[in-house]
Amino acid sequence: MASEDEEFTMLFQDFYPSLCRFLECLLGGRAPLAQDLAQESFLQLHRTAWGTLPAGEARFWLYRVARNMAINEFRKSNTRYRLFDRVVEAMRPRTRNPEQEYETQEQQTLVLEMLQTLPEDQRTALLLREQEQLSYREIGQVLNVSESKVKVDIFRARASLRERWSKRVKTAGASVS
Amino acid sequence: MNCNFTEKVSSLIDGELSPSDAREVERHLLNCGECQQMRADFLNLRSQIAGFETSLQPVVQNRALKKILSTPRRAPAFGLQWSFGKAVAFASLLIAGALMGFMLYQSSNSRGPQSGREVVAVNEPTPVPSRSTGSTGSTGQQQQKPEPEPSPAPRKDNEENNPQRKSAPKRPLVREPKPGEQFAAIPAAPETPDRVTSADAETMTAMHFDKSETLLRSFRNVRLNEPGSAAEVSYERQRAQQLVYQNMMLRREAEARGDVQVASLLESLEPILLDISNLPDKPDADAVRVIRARVERKNIVPLLRVNSTALARALDD
Repeated sequence: MASEDEEFTMLFQDFYPSLCRFLECLLGGRAPLAQDLAQESFLQLHRTAWGTLPAGEARFWLYRVARNMAINEFRKSNTRYRLFDRVVEAMRPRTRNPEQEYETQEQQTLVLEMLQTLPEDQRTALLLREQEQLSYREIGQVLNVSESKVKVDIFRARASLRERWSKRVKTAGASVS
Repeated sequence: MNCNFTEKVSSLIDGELSPSDAREVERHLLNCGECQQMRADFLNLRSQIAGFETSLQPVVQNRALKKILSTPRRAPAFGLQWSFGKAVAFASLLIAGALMGFMLYQSSNSRGPQSGREVVAVNEPTPVPSRSTGSTGSTGQQQQKPEPEPSPAPRKDNEENNPQRKSAPKRPLVREPKPGEQFAAIPAAPETPDRVTSADAETMTAMHFDKSETLLRSFRNVRLNEPGSAAEVSYERQRAQQLVYQNMMLRREAEARGDVQVASLLESLEPILLDISNLPDKPDADAVRVIRARVERKNIVPLLRVNSTALARALDD
């Protein structure tokens, strides 16, 4: 039992931050909610599936459960304004200097905004590829789709983001000139 | 994006191409500016997305871990599913069993007396049609038949023209409730069918006693030339085989209606009929004598005579 908890702790330390980041990008920000959902995913793993999953499957299981929770959250509160999330985000302690913080914040907000323009399945596949470095096969395992669909989804997501990015750059250039 | 390699560029930067395909795309990239730009843009996007930093604090992470570890673990998922499935299967079995039991109960209630009478009517002729017509007089005088001969031989004719058998299906055993009528009203149906049913059973019992008496008398008269020699009992054995089943049916009916005397007599008769029906074609004379002795010891032949007469008189009344 103790060794199981140790193993679980190691898994948690390794993947909890990644899962939070994945969920935050998937949800378009809302860090507190992302952390709650990540915690809930680990809680479910610990209570029900831990010890029954084959070795190496826990990570995919976590991403699958977390993604389903995020989808439920979309349906539940897609149009609801999360004031609490914004307040928590505003009260979050900052460690960098304000200028650097501002730049990073701007960049991250831009990334999140662009990601939110993608369909959910393309966004998830791209995030699992770019942030978690999962292979197409592994992404297909998480999303329960074929490798070829993963490949097409990732390509379309990249192409779509690239197009938006170039438009944004052009607009920024025009406004500067 | 007019180049055909654009999708392969995406797979190339993910390392998802086979070595030969990867070499081909890389060769293409040397000469295609559009694909070069695309690869650069894709890699730039990657750095933007991968560089996204979450605002997770170590304190929050540790608190979450403590909370998770302090939560008791449930049974493994597959065990939970198995026990749930088992519970569902058990519940289904219970429901199916209850339904089957209810249906059997319903069918036995609705068809039991009718089918029982039918068996009796098929197997047994009416010994004294005047009695039965007397008891069934309320159902119609067209069922009356000429007085049969007293000897057992003509009874086969009576079997074929059994008035009770013909009239039985015409009698409604259970009155259909009218719309809106309470079930409590059903027992208030006319008493005639019940009385007739009882009379049928008693008639059949009287006949059965009569036949059994004849059989036992015949069995008592089987000739045994010498001790240890074979006896010819094929007729008696065949007759006993016919009567055993009927004996069982009538005994159950007598027990069901609480007629202890008849039930007791039928119970005494049953093993004797069974013994006779189980005799071989050429039984040992001693085996026949043993059965005879039992018949004599139980004094069963006079009892059969008395009871059949008593029943016949009761039916006449």
